[in-house]
Amino acid sequence: MAKSLFEERLNSGKFLVTTEIGPPKGTDISEMVHHIELLKDKVDAINVTDHQSSVMRFPSLGGCLLVREHGGEPVFQMTTRDRNRLALQADLLLAYSRGIRNVLCLTGDSVDVGDHKEAKPVFDLDSVQLLRMIRIMESGKDLAGNDLKGAPEFCIGASVHPATDSIEPQLIKFDKKVEAGAQFFQTQGVYDLDCLRRFMQYASQFNVKILAGIIVLASARMAQYMNDNVPGIVVPQAVIDELAGAEKGKGLQKGIEIAVRLMKMIKDENLCHGVHIMAVGREGIVPDILEAAGLGVSVHV
Amino acid sequence: MMNSKEAELCSSERKTMYSAGSDAFKSDHSDGVKKTSFDHTLMPPCQDACPLHMEIREYVDLIAQGRVMEALQVIRDGNPFPSICAHVCTAPCETACRRGQVDNPVAIRALKRFAVEFGGDRMIQLEAETRHEERTAIVGSGPAGLSAAYYLRRLGYPVTIFEAYSEPGGMLRVGIPKYRLPGEILDTEVQRLIQMGVEIRTNTPVVSLDLLFDMGYKAVFVTVGAHQGLRLGIEGEDSPGVVDGATFLREVNLGFKPSIGERIAVVGGGNVAIDAARAALRLGAREVRILYRRSREEMPADPAEIEQAIEEGVEILFLATPTKIAGKDRQLGLTCIRMELGEPDASGRRRPIPIQDSEFNMGIDTLITAIGQAPQIPSDFRLRIGRGSTIQVDPITLTTNRVGVFAGGDAITGPATVVQALATGRGAASRIDDYLQHRYPLVSKDEKETLAGELLPKTIEMIRKLTRFEPLTVSPEARVKEFELVELVYDWESAINEARRCLRCGMGAEILFQDKCATCLTCLRVCPYHVPYLDDSGTIQIPADQCQACGICVAECPAKAIVLRKPQDRRQIDEELDHVLKSAAQAKSKPFIIGFSCQYGLYGTGALASLWRGAKAGIWIVPVLCVAKIEAEHILQAFEMGAEGVFIAGCGQEQCAREDTAFWALQRMEKAKKVLAQIGLEPQRLQAFNLYADGEDPATALDKFTERIGEFYLASAIKQEVKT
Amino acid sequence: MTVCGAGGEREVSLLHSALKVAQARGGNEAHSFLEYTVKRQCDFEFLDMLEDRVGEVDAILSLGCGIGVQVIAERFPDIPVLPGVNTSFMGASKEWGVWDERCAACGECRLDETGGICPITRCVKGILNGPCAGSKSGKCEVSSDMDCAWVLIYERLERLGQLEKMRRYYPPRNFRTIPRPRRIVSKADIDLGGNDG
Repeated sequence: MAKSLFEERLNSGKFLVTTEIGPPKGTDISEMVHHIELLKDKVDAINVTDHQSSVMRFPSLGGCLLVREHGGEPVFQMTTRDRNRLALQADLLLAYSRGIRNVLCLTGDSVDVGDHKEAKPVFDLDSVQLLRMIRIMESGKDLAGNDLKGAPEFCIGASVHPATDSIEPQLIKFDKKVEAGAQFFQTQGVYDLDCLRRFMQYASQFNVKILAGIIVLASARMAQYMNDNVPGIVVPQAVIDELAGAEKGKGLQKGIEIAVRLMKMIKDENLCHGVHIMAVGREGIVPDILEAAGLGVSVHV
Repeated sequence: MMNSKEAELCSSERKTMYSAGSDAFKSDHSDGVKKTSFDHTLMPPCQDACPLHMEIREYVDLIAQGRVMEALQVIRDGNPFPSICAHVCTAPCETACRRGQVDNPVAIRALKRFAVEFGGDRMIQLEAETRHEERTAIVGSGPAGLSAAYYLRRLGYPVTIFEAYSEPGGMLRVGIPKYRLPGEILDTEVQRLIQMGVEIRTNTPVVSLDLLFDMGYKAVFVTVGAHQGLRLGIEGEDSPGVVDGATFLREVNLGFKPSIGERIAVVGGGNVAIDAARAALRLGAREVRILYRRSREEMPADPAEIEQAIEEGVEILFLATPTKIAGKDRQLGLTCIRMELGEPDASGRRRPIPIQDSEFNMGIDTLITAIGQAPQIPSDFRLRIGRGSTIQVDPITLTTNRVGVFAGGDAITGPATVVQALATGRGAASRIDDYLQHRYPLVSKDEKETLAGELLPKTIEMIRKLTRFEPLTVSPEARVKEFELVELVYDWESAINEARRCLRCGMGAEILFQDKCATCLTCLRVCPYHVPYLDDSGTIQIPADQCQACGICVAECPAKAIVLRKPQDRRQIDEELDHVLKSAAQAKSKPFIIGFSCQYGLYGTGALASLWRGAKAGIWIVPVLCVAKIEAEHILQAFEMGAEGVFIAGCGQEQCAREDTAFWALQRMEKAKKVLAQIGLEPQRLQAFNLYADGEDPATALDKFTERIGEFYLASAIKQEVKT
Repeated sequence: MTVCGAGGEREVSLLHSALKVAQARGGNEAHSFLEYTVKRQCDFEFLDMLEDRVGEVDAILSLGCGIGVQVIAERFPDIPVLPGVNTSFMGASKEWGVWDERCAACGECRLDETGGICPITRCVKGILNGPCAGSKSGKCEVSSDMDCAWVLIYERLERLGQLEKMRRYYPPRNFRTIPRPRRIVSKADIDLGGNDG
């Protein structure tokens, strides 16, 4: 029996589509709720980011609760940057109890790249240890070996970076995550499909679902900025040039064009099991992208 | 002159734990020749004060370990007649002994006697061969002459001693009463000399030195001593019944029994006066009084002798001196006057001044004058005479105004001590040898630095106070009946406990590798005597004059920068472990249990010997000089050698002569246990035994331990079987 | 004086000069300064030398590490002690003037597993199953000047033929080795009564 709706969809064999929502910096959640309503029926799951880029925001767990409330299928992005193992376990217990059954286990960006550079980085666990911890909790024990009064069950995933220039260490990490129990992977932004192909040659030996990360860029400058400052993002020069070549004011359109092109190719060639769209603050355009990519099908709740 | 033990140690291969040190040590030991540069011990005050510079610290330490025969060997290396000194030496070493700053000096002379009597001195035969043609003549067979004869004979010269009296020995024979130096002892020494080939001609006074040269002697050593009593210079001194002290003693010692009556007065304050008084008692005198013109503090006689005299019933009148003698035959009337002490005179002692109208009289039978002696040199010797009728000599070469004629002993110094005479004799032999071989006299070889400095109060405070074991004496009542020895020799336990009181001055710890020292302050913190200190530049200093040579800091220093000054001490445990290894290899067996056993104290007496002999086979003992020197590494080495169990046996904290030693030995054992636990060896494989502990008898405890080790061994053997 | 050059006689006299200059220029003549250098401030015995001088001052400015400042304060509790340096880390120096952090005193050394490269100090996140996704061209996401420790570890282990060490799962750290203040006792508890064991 599947642990969550998303898991069902993972196992169904269909081409998967997920996207992410970044919560606001503040109590005004109106826009986030609007985006949830907009996307909940169009994707297989909605990720809520956890202080992405170490910028303080409304919490991921809170965002997931809202997704649930509004009838969507949330993926709880959990980093280990801010909470120790007690807090992490507690949040998981709460998440499960409120029907949030999918967790994306991440180490998290370093505090130094964010907007609270003097904060204490916790990193009591890393992503691999978090994956394992969830499996331990599922067996009815907490991390210290005490019995749980009611054990949770989760569909768990992790991230991977196929486009990294140090691929061997990354693959060692990937192996560890698979061994730890990850069922699905949402990759960092992918532009080079050959790279994705090579990665999939390796990853397909495992029984895991890979969703290629698609980042929607709006300009060459944005691409360059992300390249330089955002961890895990590698935009190839060709793409930057393509963006730069766009007509003035048509940057975003070009960006969407590139994203759609990638998504189509991935789907058509069955390169991996799905895509994960990262609109980076422009969640509103996601439905259009899906439409353009031929993935704009409603999904049943 | 190299100690035989040192010679033996030089030639064998050595492993040392001080890697840098061992390299330096090897270079110092090229071709097996020992260079003293690596021996950093300082000459202790006892050795420095001894005219013979005997290695006192070394032989006292050997006695403390129960190695009496080796102690005797050290003594013999430094002293030609140990048995004589053992009885009568004035022991300047004891006066200099720094133990005196703590409680009482170590009873060195009594320990020497113990070594002589228990070390089998009587069995030692001496031999010498003739390597030179030049014949040497010695005039006078006192200690200086006998000593010179001994050393000249060892150098290979034909030696003849000419003695005027009927028996050889000089003052040893005729001056010192037999209750202090039995005649047999002197006879034994003289016999040994004769066995060596020395010719002694008694009843042969020498009247002319020219005659000796005519007879073919190439060098002459004049040691006629100082036998001529000084005169009081008072009226009636030539009356019958007045006799000079030295003459009196000579007659007594040579077997004549001078009749002196019952009431005796002795004038003087030196050992001759005391000896005369006590001899008089033994001849039957009822009233014996000594008149001394100064007070007891200034009395030059040996304090123990004064004490014994008083015990025997001699009455000493201080601050009194005779002024007139009257009377005839045996009835003498002695007029005396009381004195008081004024300003110091040339000798530094306060001058006695007669108190006006304080005369008093006493009736006596004999007056013995013992205010000093002077040499009597025949004028035909044609030697230049100086102050006090002594022969003038060059102090370094001991030559007189006549070519080929040397002089020494009381003849050049006036009355002095036996040991000084022995030293002069030894020196003279070298000088005569130089002369006869036409060599320029080399005065002194590498002089070792002498330890100087008083013990600081903070050091003294931590040193355990141990009462000096005084040698027992025969009861005063029994003593006065005869001329038998007054002082009894130590028994083993007393000797060893007395020897343990030695502070081992100058052979303590030093920071040998200053660049290794990180000033971690460990030595400063672990020393029970608070010896290491930080100087103004922030460098640790370990003052040699305070260090008690316990060895704790050496074993605790994390950088191994501290070593013991004496090379043999540094390597001691390593050598013993090496020895076990070699013996085990020879026996084609592995040591089953290795026991590190302290050699001092009760262990030295051999009380523990029965324990080891009775122990089951496979127990190998590594003797250590105090358990404080055992390091955790040594324990591990024992296991490396195949031992299944290790024990440490020593005195408990209360019985050890040093502080904190048991504590540190146990700390190291705990450290070893921790390390062994990581290898999977049980902590019960290590145990410490304290011979003095209440409760279980160590023999039983050792048996139990052996049994337990046996069980461990079986268990691990089975585990091995199962594995394979 | 430490190996990193802090707090030696030279730095003390430099600081003294600077303070005098600041005084002169600021017109505040209220303070006077005494200089003193001891071998170490963290062992009480070295502070004995200060005993006589302490009465002459109202405060002690210590250029020792945090340990030294605290030991001085404990030794001379009636005098305020001010820290003059910020004690930062334990590190190594390959060239003059440059020191790199190498050890965080975590109490659980695992350098045998990571080819001699410490993930606690050299990885910004201090993770044990690295690298993270932020590693780019062998550099850390935080700065292109910083090497990604896990790429270094990978390369070293590969060189040593020990890559299987990196493939192992490392469970969460035991932070219990760091309850503060930590204490190490190397001396054993000895009972001196009679036979041991």
